[in-house]
Amino acid sequence: MTILEKFYQSIPLENPWIESWKKEGKKVLGTFCSYIPDEIIYAADILPIRIRAKGCAETPMGDAYLTQTACSFTRCCLEMANRKQYNFLDGMISCNSCDQIRRLFDNIRFKAPPPFHHFLSVPGNVNETTIDWFKHELTKFKETLEENFSVDISDNKLRDAIKIYNKSRTLLKELYMLRKNTAPPISGTDMMNILLTNVSIPKEQFNELLSQQLQEIDGKEGISDYKARIMLAGSMLDDPDYVKIIEELGGLVVTDAYCLGPRYFWDNVDETKNPMDALANYYMSRVSCPRMAGRQSNRVEHIVDLIKEFNVDGVILQRMKFCALWWGEIFIIRKKLKELNIPFLDLEREYVMSGVGAMKTRVQGFMEVLEAR
Amino acid sequence: MDDETYRKYKKLGRGSWGKDLSLWKTMYLGFINLAKEEEFNPFVEMFANMFLRVVNARKEGKPIIMYPFNFEPALFIAMNLTPLMQETFSVGLAPLKLNEPYIDITNKMGYGDTPTLCNAQRPIVGAYKQGVAPIPDLMFFTPTPCNAITMSYQVFQQLTDVPYFTMDVPYWAYDQLNEFYDEKIIDYMVKQTKDLIFWLEKETNQKLDLEKFQQTMKLVNEARQNVLEFNELLKNVPCPMPSLAGFMNFTAMATHSGTIEAVKATKYIRDEAAENIKSGIAGVPDEKVRIAWPYTHIFFDVDLLPWIEETFQAVVILDILGYYPVLPHDVSTIEKCYESVAKGVLDFSMVGTCRGNAEFYIDFCLNYVKDYKIDAMIIPMQFACKHAYAITRIAAEAVREQLGIPTLIFGVDPYDSREVTSETIKAKISEFLTQVVL
Repeated sequence: MTILEKFYQSIPLENPWIESWKKEGKKVLGTFCSYIPDEIIYAADILPIRIRAKGCAETPMGDAYLTQTACSFTRCCLEMANRKQYNFLDGMISCNSCDQIRRLFDNIRFKAPPPFHHFLSVPGNVNETTIDWFKHELTKFKETLEENFSVDISDNKLRDAIKIYNKSRTLLKELYMLRKNTAPPISGTDMMNILLTNVSIPKEQFNELLSQQLQEIDGKEGISDYKARIMLAGSMLDDPDYVKIIEELGGLVVTDAYCLGPRYFWDNVDETKNPMDALANYYMSRVSCPRMAGRQSNRVEHIVDLIKEFNVDGVILQRMKFCALWWGEIFIIRKKLKELNIPFLDLEREYVMSGVGAMKTRVQGFMEVLEAR
Repeated sequence: MDDETYRKYKKLGRGSWGKDLSLWKTMYLGFINLAKEEEFNPFVEMFANMFLRVVNARKEGKPIIMYPFNFEPALFIAMNLTPLMQETFSVGLAPLKLNEPYIDITNKMGYGDTPTLCNAQRPIVGAYKQGVAPIPDLMFFTPTPCNAITMSYQVFQQLTDVPYFTMDVPYWAYDQLNEFYDEKIIDYMVKQTKDLIFWLEKETNQKLDLEKFQQTMKLVNEARQNVLEFNELLKNVPCPMPSLAGFMNFTAMATHSGTIEAVKATKYIRDEAAENIKSGIAGVPDEKVRIAWPYTHIFFDVDLLPWIEETFQAVVILDILGYYPVLPHDVSTIEKCYESVAKGVLDFSMVGTCRGNAEFYIDFCLNYVKDYKIDAMIIPMQFACKHAYAITRIAAEAVREQLGIPTLIFGVDPYDSREVTSETIKAKISEFLTQVVL
């Protein structure tokens, strides 16, 4: 089995790493958002994994309780929770990422309550006052974990967790930067698998796998038979098949801007500071999600920088249907891309892959536009 | 209003107000014509003057600050700014069926659609594009209860380059008895209130006059007290006021809180309710059904509530906005004034009920149904209102299970008459009231 194939094993919600972890009698917590600091959970010797809804086929409960105008990711998650698909989790952590996520969490609490749950009130803007509040939220979170799981999350344990997570970030960035090459050593589809693995298995093992992957591709010939270099940006995306469709049509996804992507690993947590201060600062100050008011210029600049650095020919802006935050964000990004004369394609999608034929037609057309430039 | 007053206000609407105030003028003239048939009461006077105040601010170069419906503008008033509640447009244009063309323009511009982003905010994007809405000098918002506000103000900023300040509003409660109590929430909100003042001072190159601020907060308290008393009076059976009365109080607080005008208006309506109780007058004669309406009114259809009243002898006691839960607070010191602003932000209509866990909204529904002796709940949910729509079902279940009261929930766009028509809405309400309630 190649290293890449090992990464692919993390795709199911319950993967072999989680099974091994649980066999040791250790706990697993599911999280709904990249604003929840995994480091605190890991410092409690609990495995944090990102909640996904892979395998969801229909959403009758989601439609009824969250309504049909809620995004399909949240409807799928409620369905999965109701069907006990998350029962391997020892609890769930959420925050006010967006209105749909916060109400999903409410409905899960009422209709399919997990054994443990906690909610973080993450500020919607960034300044000294709000960072200080976020530290307060993180402290409450740490204390709740300590109390509920009878663990001690000392500063030293937090520092160790931060180091391990920073190592992941450094390795991910190292791999990610190789995509700048004219012949990148890794496809966008494989990169997404790695990013999914990053939020689905214990970090030490992930770091080991990723180090091996970096060694394996070192000096190897990269991918050069592509028509255009693509940036993929937009709503929460965790389906490698979506990227695969773009790549099968000749677009090589070389960079991205969504919550599992660079936002997660672009910068490191400061290891020299008090760990709770460092975490609060890091999570509030890094490249933000559209939920963070006042940071849109910063986000757009980040996207433009990535476009330049990764020599992007065109941008695919994917937006999950009914996603308010990303619709607004894409409205702002489009304005900038037009100013810079960077071609883009706007795609609406559902969480569960559907309308593949229509998507292929539009991506094909976009590739032709890019090739003709 | 009498002819002389009507002519006076009509005259003030003559001549050009400038292209950017053309929609504002349309609303003003619509309002004056509507008010012609009404008594010239403090509400009519307050709103007529609100329109004119913005026009004068433009002429005199006084800063206009735009903000969403979820904030009492007292602090702006204390700083001599002209407050402009953004939803005045979408609510004011709805009955004139004038949101629709601007919603269409916004759609074409690519900013959202009706099921995704709220049309309380979206029409002004199209209006900006056409140059028919006034671009403010400053903007302020709190990103609650919804993402539509957060996103729309970021979009406004991109379109207009107007600077904005935003204040975070946490999930938790400040009442120690509440299961979601957080001991630091008030300090946090006070700190942010001071940050807002600092920003306003910097942007407008002036210092907040603390004495004026305290006086303003005293007026806020008076109006809050009037609203509190009014809402208590509505518990009377039969309800002493017709269905729209509570919403009027909300409009006073959201646009004029901190002014003597708001105090007069809220006192006027409170006194009317008290007088009606004394005289045995009901808002709806032969009241048969008392309806809780824990969401906003359907603004495009001004005939809906009178139709419900006449057809079913049913009274809608309060909508979610009229259920104004902000209490008067101690303002004896400046620090206490900051606290009062902070608590106003946390408790404001819809914010207090929807900013936190679902329990906030569920408890609001349960208390509302119990306190006001409600027979049925009707929740006309805006499609894009994710934060509320997605908890109405669990709230309705709680109300049914704990209090045995039925609920009708249906999707609608209160600002756009084309999405779900008046006829369809009436059919749903009629079926519910006749087959389930009566």
